[in-house]
Amino acid sequence: MTVKECYDVMKGDYDDVLSRLRTDERIKKFLLRVVSDPSFANLCDALEQKNLEEAFRAAHTLKGVCKNMSLTGLAYSASNLTEALRGRSDFGEDIEPLFKKVKKDYALTMACIQML
Amino acid sequence: MSDKKKILIVDDSEMNRALLEDMLSDEYEIIEAENGMEAMAYLHEHELEVRLVLLDIVMPVMDGFETLAMMNKNGWIKSIPVIMISAETAFTYIDRAYGLGAVDYISRPFDERTVRHRVDSNIILAEKHRELSSRLSAEIFEKEKDNRLMIQILSHIVEFRNGESGLHVLHVHAITEQILTALRKKTDAYSLSPKQVSLICNASALHDIGKISIASEILNKPGRLTPEEFDIMKTHTIEGAKMLEDIPMHDNEPLIKTAYEICRWHHERYDGRGYPDGLKGDEIPIAAQVVALADVYDALTSKRVYKPAFTSEKAVEMILNGECGSFNPLLLECLKEIADVLKNELTVISLGNSTDKEIHKSVARTLKTGGSDVSNRTIRLLEHERMKNKILSSLTHDIIFEYSASPEMIVLSEWGADYLGMPVTITDPKENDFGKRLFNPKDFKTLLTALKNTTPDNPSISEKFMLDINGNKTWCKIVANSMWSDTESPEYEGAIGKIVDINDETEELLNLELKANLDSKTGLLNNDAARQHINNALAHSQGKQFALVMFDLDNFKQANDVYGHLFGDEVLEHIAGILKRNIRSSDIAARMGGDEFIVFLDYKGTVEPQIKRIFSRLSGEYKKFPIKISMGVACADKTVTDYDELFAMADKAMYAVKKGGKDAYRYYDESMADITTDRNS
Repeated sequence: MTVKECYDVMKGDYDDVLSRLRTDERIKKFLLRVVSDPSFANLCDALEQKNLEEAFRAAHTLKGVCKNMSLTGLAYSASNLTEALRGRSDFGEDIEPLFKKVKKDYALTMACIQML
Repeated sequence: MSDKKKILIVDDSEMNRALLEDMLSDEYEIIEAENGMEAMAYLHEHELEVRLVLLDIVMPVMDGFETLAMMNKNGWIKSIPVIMISAETAFTYIDRAYGLGAVDYISRPFDERTVRHRVDSNIILAEKHRELSSRLSAEIFEKEKDNRLMIQILSHIVEFRNGESGLHVLHVHAITEQILTALRKKTDAYSLSPKQVSLICNASALHDIGKISIASEILNKPGRLTPEEFDIMKTHTIEGAKMLEDIPMHDNEPLIKTAYEICRWHHERYDGRGYPDGLKGDEIPIAAQVVALADVYDALTSKRVYKPAFTSEKAVEMILNGECGSFNPLLLECLKEIADVLKNELTVISLGNSTDKEIHKSVARTLKTGGSDVSNRTIRLLEHERMKNKILSSLTHDIIFEYSASPEMIVLSEWGADYLGMPVTITDPKENDFGKRLFNPKDFKTLLTALKNTTPDNPSISEKFMLDINGNKTWCKIVANSMWSDTESPEYEGAIGKIVDINDETEELLNLELKANLDSKTGLLNNDAARQHINNALAHSQGKQFALVMFDLDNFKQANDVYGHLFGDEVLEHIAGILKRNIRSSDIAARMGGDEFIVFLDYKGTVEPQIKRIFSRLSGEYKKFPIKISMGVACADKTVTDYDELFAMADKAMYAVKKGGKDAYRYYDESMADITTDRNS
């Protein structure tokens, strides 16, 4: 699978990332680092422990990482969760579906990257 | 060492740091920090090397805004450009970052060209700024040097004409500066700023320029001047002032104004009996008062055609006695204070180095007030110092530490960190092993408070603490110097010091102390130590009941006489052995001297069982030698709070036993109050 094909499947913006990072080689190198990036795991842990401040930071970082790599789909769902968590002190009903969406997009993205 | 410029990237996401590094590392050396605290720790050590900071906003421990605030507090924000990098694009965030001194803002996702371009251009900008200010300070340096040179040339012309060596001007300059510095510490009545002090010192060089108009027959006359000649001589004050007044267009220059005051009035006296105007007290401008005193002091301590050089002590004495006219009492106090310093300082001033020294000082001042810019040379010097420090500290096996108060952190020498099993940089030491495990938290607080309570003039402390070094309780001495900012009103910045293991010597000392308290023959406490311990116990009785037992051997004399002194000593050791085995650890047993012993014990209800047991254990025989004792017991009720009183009671009870046929014990009671023993007769 080429990098471009990979981006198409995981709903990323290949043109954007290429214009910023310049080479397929570099894009690939950093996509592989997204796999080992701990912010998603941190997010899951924080939400499980109902630590909303930590969860906000983790979601925020995940969003940043995705934006850097133009992983538009995951970046969008991570961004929605980030905004829901910003300044929050109580765990509300709305968080669960947003988190579910992030999980789903994350799984898809990981699967695609691993096929590279 | 790499020649690449250093960029510090502060971001909690490793991925983001890696991306930025990938974009920048071909041209820059990248240092990474995971949060603001780590960045602070790095900047603290390498502030002069970091050319630019890329700073994320949302981070754990210390976020981007706090980091900016800290950089402001430490003055780093002026010399190190900070570019914010964040996915936050809300205006409030951006405004706040700019408000705190960030120079640029790059929003995520990163675009390689944008990142490169902004980093490059901000570094170039900061370098231009640095270069310009160092060029500016070089120019100020030159200008200042020229000014001083002109003043010096001018005043030397006067002196050479006057047949003097030229040192007088330098001396007056130095003395004036010393007096003014002392005066500033004493009072702010004259509102002297550092700038004014330096102005007066410079102008002091011109105090005698009026002498140029005095005919050289009078000026250099070896003998005493006639009254007419003296009147002419006096005009050098007015003539000098006139010259300055006549300098076209510059009559408002502070230097000219001050020089005018000095020229005209440096022969006025505080009581109004000087010349030319007979001004009195503080009518005489402070500049002229100070230079007048400096002038007189130097004239006294220098050799002249008509007089030898007096010693500094003699000169001060003469001035204080009013032999050279009256001066402002405040200035006389200053003179007394600085007499010792002057004595040394004036001997080292030579024509060659004094100008340089002055210029160095003024440039240092200019640099300081001109901002935080540091020339490349300074950076190199600093780098050199740091290397030196590192090498030196690796040569000694002391734990060297540097403590900075804000943000709180400890930096250990490499050897020290290794030895303690701790990282070199420890942020927030109060919450870490350093302040919690190595130190007892209370001790650590004591240490920090002691450091904070020092003063810039008296910055050293030396304290002993029991430290926990890798599980071993070890006595250590902390020797440290507090550090203060080099500003008008110094602020506490932290401290530098070392931790020295003194466990062995301290234990030795404690041992010696213990030995001094013991009776050498029996190993029991001696009289003095017993008194101290018992008084201490009585003072902290907490409702306990105490008894003092005193006894001696009925037939000890016989043991010595018949079996010899060595055997006598054996008997004493035997008794001490029984005592040691039969008292509790809280009890006190002591040998008073000779064959007399005491035991001090506490009890509940009645003491009789304890007394009976001690008495019967002691009675018996040693190597067939019968041991019988006479024992008196005094119980401390509430009225007895003092060892001596208790001792006297036990003594009387023992005496009563002896009178009643020995080999028994008795308690003290009222009926014995009037007994006269050998001791109290």
